[in-house]
Amino acid sequence: MKDIKRLTQSQLAGFLSFLILWELLHLLLKTRTIPSPVETVDYILTVPGQLLRHCAASILRVAAAVVVSMLLGVPAGIVLGVNKTCKRLFSPLLYFIYPVPKVAFLPVFMLLFGLGNTSKIILVIFIIIFQIILSVRDGVEHIPPLYFKVMESFCAPAGRKYRYLILPAILPHIFGGLRISIGISLASLFFAENYATVYGIGYYILSAWTKMDYVQMFSGILALGLVGIVLFKLLDRLEAACVPWLKRMK
Amino acid sequence: MKDFIIMDRVFFSYGNREILSNVHLTLEAGSSYALIGKSGSGKSTILNLIAGFLKPDGGTVTVNGAEVRAPRSETAFLFQDLGLFPWQTVEDAVSMPLKIKGRTDRLEAAVMELLVEMRLEGHKDKYPQELSGGERQRVALARTLIGEPDLLLMDEPTSALDAMTKEELQGIIIREQQKRTATLLFVTHDIEEAVMLGQHILLMNVDGTVSQLDNPYYSVKNAREELGFYDQCIRLRKLLKMEM
Repeated sequence: MKDIKRLTQSQLAGFLSFLILWELLHLLLKTRTIPSPVETVDYILTVPGQLLRHCAASILRVAAAVVVSMLLGVPAGIVLGVNKTCKRLFSPLLYFIYPVPKVAFLPVFMLLFGLGNTSKIILVIFIIIFQIILSVRDGVEHIPPLYFKVMESFCAPAGRKYRYLILPAILPHIFGGLRISIGISLASLFFAENYATVYGIGYYILSAWTKMDYVQMFSGILALGLVGIVLFKLLDRLEAACVPWLKRMK
Repeated sequence: MKDFIIMDRVFFSYGNREILSNVHLTLEAGSSYALIGKSGSGKSTILNLIAGFLKPDGGTVTVNGAEVRAPRSETAFLFQDLGLFPWQTVEDAVSMPLKIKGRTDRLEAAVMELLVEMRLEGHKDKYPQELSGGERQRVALARTLIGEPDLLLMDEPTSALDAMTKEELQGIIIREQQKRTATLLFVTHDIEEAVMLGQHILLMNVDGTVSQLDNPYYSVKNAREELGFYDQCIRLRKLLKMEM
């Protein structure tokens, strides 16, 4: 309880120092491109429902993309980690696609999947799935060979090897991959939500930018940051529940 | 006594380096054997061949009448580095072998019984990283014993422990092996440990063969307080030196 209180206090202090720095920047530059944080927070409080709707639309897109990426990426990563032939066959392709800016494929997705939510979600999936596959593959490869020998000594069939060894061993890597993926997918909303939609925090910020309404733009940026904080905190809680041994190692 | 393990004309090489050459070995059921020899002489290779982790280049390895081609479920292996999973509590680790075998009836009671025997009942919810070296070693030993194996293979079971913890664990190993009438074969660098735990001592020769000696000090109460115990250690040390 004391730890939680201390953590909340330090996070609050961090957020306040960010607001102070922002205010200082606003006072120093004296430009309407950087509005005051007080003005921005005030604006958020006048249109909370509108911002929440935009945030909810973005969170739903990110959640759908993350769930699908996990469902496809985790098994693919395990196969690449366990099966040397698959690793040899597919790793070059993975390394080729991984650094390519996936946003470049946006026109292709628009043509193939239309202008609706599907193409937006598929773009985010395409951006984050490689991160998940590589995290999981690395997780499997980092399992000490002795652990496999232990399972072999107990004559464990494949299913039990996954249950008692591979899945628990890769859990921390899955959470690491998820953390990076959520960050990247929030950032990629700017591209995914800049066409054929009137909902989403990416749309909200871009629309304010084109209208040169910087208070609205900064309110969107602040909301996006807060969404990030909420998602990361949820992930921390989930990780503490699913990977309790890591906390006890610290 | 019944011949339990038979290594018949076994050859084994790592690449061009011949480790075992024409090894003949017969071990009786229910006895304990200490395998000693210089580093790289092939002690762990013998253990791995009997466990079914390795296949001989020539000859056969038979355990309880059946040729070993893969690990058998009645053989338990205590690894030098233990191989405890950091995500398993003591209770999870000890119960895993039974869960793997699908023997979940009386699981909790069997695990608790063994934990009490190993004086680990107060640590059942702890992870390996929260235990001392001796406690970790006892958890690994409990994990190997829970499946009621007929053969216990141990690779330097006490090498990482301090003197007092080592003696305590040696006592547990003797007690458990005798209680279960399992055959015990262990590799050690520690001559005192070989004399303490081995009813018979197997000496790896420089030519890749193995010779066998009987040990009268096995399991003798307070053996370390008898002069003969040290005479036996000195004798073994001399034999080992001759093989170096």
